Amino acid sequence: MSDTDDHDHSAEEHSRRTVLKAGAVGAVAVAASGGMETIAAGSPADVRTAPPAQAPTADITLRVNGVERSLTVESRVTLLDALRERVGLTGTKKGCDRGECGACTVLVEGERVKSCMTLAVMEDGREITTVEGLARGDELHPVQAAFIRRDAFQCGFCTSGQIMSAVACIQEGHAGSDAEVREWMSGNLCRCGCYPNIVDAVRDAAKGQAK
Amino acid sequence: MSPIVGSPLARIDGRAKVTGAATYTADTEVRGALHGFLALSTVAGGRITGIDVRDAERSPGVVAVFTHRNMPELVVPAGQGTAYWKRVIPLQNAEIHHSGQPVAYLVAESPEQARHAASLVKVTYEARTPRVGLAQAMDEAYVPEPGLKGPNDITRGDPAAGLAQADVRIDVSYTTPMHHHNALEPSATTAVWDDGKLTVYETAQGINATKATLAEALEVPPADVRVISRFLGGGFGAKGPVWPHTLITAAIARELGRPVKLVLSRAHTYTSHGHRPETHQRLRIGAKRDGTLTAIEHVTTSQVSRTEDLLFNTSEPTRMLYACPNLRVTQRAVQLDLPAPSMMRSPEVVASHGLETALDELSYELGMDPIELRLRNYTADNPDADGTPFGSKHLKECYRRGADAFGWNKRDPRPRSMRDGDTLIGWGMATAAHTAGGRPGAGARVVISAEGKATVQVATHDIGTGTYTVMSQVAAQSLGLDLAHVRFELGDSNYPFAFVSAASATVPGVGAAVNRACTAARRTLIDITVTDPRSPLHGIPADRVTIEDGTLYDTDRRARRDTVRAVVARHGEPVEATTEPVFIPPGYSTGACFAEVRVDPGLGQVRVTRMHGFFDAGRVFNRRTLRSQGIGGAVWAVGFTLSEHTLVDRRLGRIVNPNLSGYLVPVNADIPEVHMGFVDKPDPANPDSLGARGFGETPMTGMTAAIGNAVYHATGRRIRDLPITQDKIIEAAEDQ
Repeated sequence: MSDTDDHDHSAEEHSRRTVLKAGAVGAVAVAASGGMETIAAGSPADVRTAPPAQAPTADITLRVNGVERSLTVESRVTLLDALRERVGLTGTKKGCDRGECGACTVLVEGERVKSCMTLAVMEDGREITTVEGLARGDELHPVQAAFIRRDAFQCGFCTSGQIMSAVACIQEGHAGSDAEVREWMSGNLCRCGCYPNIVDAVRDAAKGQAK
Repeated sequence: MSPIVGSPLARIDGRAKVTGAATYTADTEVRGALHGFLALSTVAGGRITGIDVRDAERSPGVVAVFTHRNMPELVVPAGQGTAYWKRVIPLQNAEIHHSGQPVAYLVAESPEQARHAASLVKVTYEARTPRVGLAQAMDEAYVPEPGLKGPNDITRGDPAAGLAQADVRIDVSYTTPMHHHNALEPSATTAVWDDGKLTVYETAQGINATKATLAEALEVPPADVRVISRFLGGGFGAKGPVWPHTLITAAIARELGRPVKLVLSRAHTYTSHGHRPETHQRLRIGAKRDGTLTAIEHVTTSQVSRTEDLLFNTSEPTRMLYACPNLRVTQRAVQLDLPAPSMMRSPEVVASHGLETALDELSYELGMDPIELRLRNYTADNPDADGTPFGSKHLKECYRRGADAFGWNKRDPRPRSMRDGDTLIGWGMATAAHTAGGRPGAGARVVISAEGKATVQVATHDIGTGTYTVMSQVAAQSLGLDLAHVRFELGDSNYPFAFVSAASATVPGVGAAVNRACTAARRTLIDITVTDPRSPLHGIPADRVTIEDGTLYDTDRRARRDTVRAVVARHGEPVEATTEPVFIPPGYSTGACFAEVRVDPGLGQVRVTRMHGFFDAGRVFNRRTLRSQGIGGAVWAVGFTLSEHTLVDRRLGRIVNPNLSGYLVPVNADIPEVHMGFVDKPDPANPDSLGARGFGETPMTGMTAAIGNAVYHATGRRIRDLPITQDKIIEAAEDQ
């Protein structure tokens, strides 16, 4: 299946140093980067000395939307991947996996958290609320209803994160003015460009809850 | 009955999207699926001399590692109905064409395992020194053969003579950087084989083209390939064509005999599915003192890859927007060691930004209001089609009503004349225009059940534009059913064909198909009714029967009625209609864009504080969703003009900001109130689509220059190199 008998063993014989020295045609040896962001050319990580990926596992319990979920996860599994790939709640989205876009926003003990930036093992025993846990049966949460009424999304991919962020934004008392909403909702990117409608929706929901 | 088409209904898929129930590609649960991850080239050109995957293979959970040594062979798809822009497929040989090209594909039981294994692949290269800057290779520019957008060098009249006749001439150059789509949803593919048949869950704007492309690449009959895309998390062109990772994932799933799921990392999207290329454009414009244009010469030079030279930035704005007897538009290409460019939202925005900025520069040369200059050169007919009239064009009304809404007549035209304390205020305007249509349309199938409910199916897409909603509206109205009794289904290549959802062509194409199919089904329903002796409407002429809210009436005596439900029940089987695709007539949506900026002269910081657009998009199906698309275009214009650029390291040929912290898409705090107005008059050229035209890509084509022109009005500095960042404004101030 994989190329067990077709390796280029010559690569193994060169250290990075010798290959770099052979540089008339600019031959360089670098690790192919799994994530381009992780390894810079010219300063390759010496992956040969990296330990095998025997990632330790842990038994944890997450309270997700009021339901206890017991999981055995590797320590490197993010809360986001635990929710999506292990718990099966795919409403929380992965847009960047590094805390830049906000699509993965959930509430942990009532506070908004980018779930790609925290490991599942760090949230053991905590109360997690995802977008699936906001409505009560058929009755939408006021923020969800406002998002529909104000057309505060198009493709909908950032929407789960926007809504979770908006719920927290209102609870934090950061929805006092449009300018404040814009500022405190700026951790959630929307590429379709629904920002004015999102501001309208958050304002509506905040007013409704203030009554 | 109030018309359903034209009502600003809330999105039908809204509830699914706000509760997390909408199933996007990566959300689809496929039992036993393995997870893929790419390892990418770290050099920008050359060849692989050695590749060592032993550590990767030994890594826990890894099932297989594919490189060019063991990857199954694939056919480069180029046949009818395919949409594979590239002429090569990675992992087929040792050649490296750009940094970020896949060199290995890791397959493991979990996403974490696959990703970790990618970091264990060791590759040696024989690398050549890359060239990645347009400016360094302008002397190699050439005019490619006619491509997707026709000829790349077009002359009308005598441009040299036109320039010679001019009283005023300007000669200006603009540059724009590489841009990336950055849909919030990264591209994803899950490939499942079952007994030689392939099902692919794909982030696709074109499921039918994806099907045809996969079939050719994998050498299986198209009938054995099914592509599904129920919800798309934004595409903006990136997911229109088919890209290598999709073909490779399907081939590996076949090889392994297990489903494989690949979700690109954000970084990997930067080299996996195209971009808007870096461009340089030179515009020479001649005009009489009264503003009449005598000539336009517009030469655009765009980056292309080493292996492909398709151009996507059309020159339509220059060819179609104004009456100008003498014109030359040339599209040139420069091959660089970078990935292939592709279509990206409002592809003509590069050309329109140049043209509309140059006209603003001309307006100052002439001392003429920029709207007046545009009206002076207004054309009711299409100069690009021998003066054939447009179906309809209400652009003059857009200028007038947009200007009124914005308050344009209160503008002091002198640069740096409007202030609020130390803050400089600028007002700018520009024209927006986008062609949609002139391409294959869609078919549709409708089935009306004995419950009086209709299911309408088209193999189209809802890329966030509101297809589910507006097509349900069209179907309900054309059938005469209550909206709640209509279900519109899309995103499955087993449904009747539709063209790719791009170029703002879904509303005019699919809208027409749904209308035709539903009108045919309605006619069948009426025929069945009047020929059924058991119906109260039996025997009356079919043209006297109408259907409203599921009830059939005799229009002469409305008390005589029957119900759709009863008619179909008595008929004994569902009533069906299917229509074949019909060519979509070309449609030209236009509009006027206005922007206000505030500039801090000390910091060079630009804030957009108001945006107004007024558009002729033909008939408006749903003002709520259309307005949102318009706002989206305006938001894209803010990014295009002020913040977005993909930066490439000149030495390594590598993108240095493949992320959302270094590539600056607008955030909520960047966007002010945005006002969108619509003429809302049907375009007679497309009666099948009820007079609706494509619109989504129109606003951006004008708003970018409106913002840039506002910056000039505020500061007196013309920044011709996008994006207009703080450093450039300060530098321009220091130069003066």
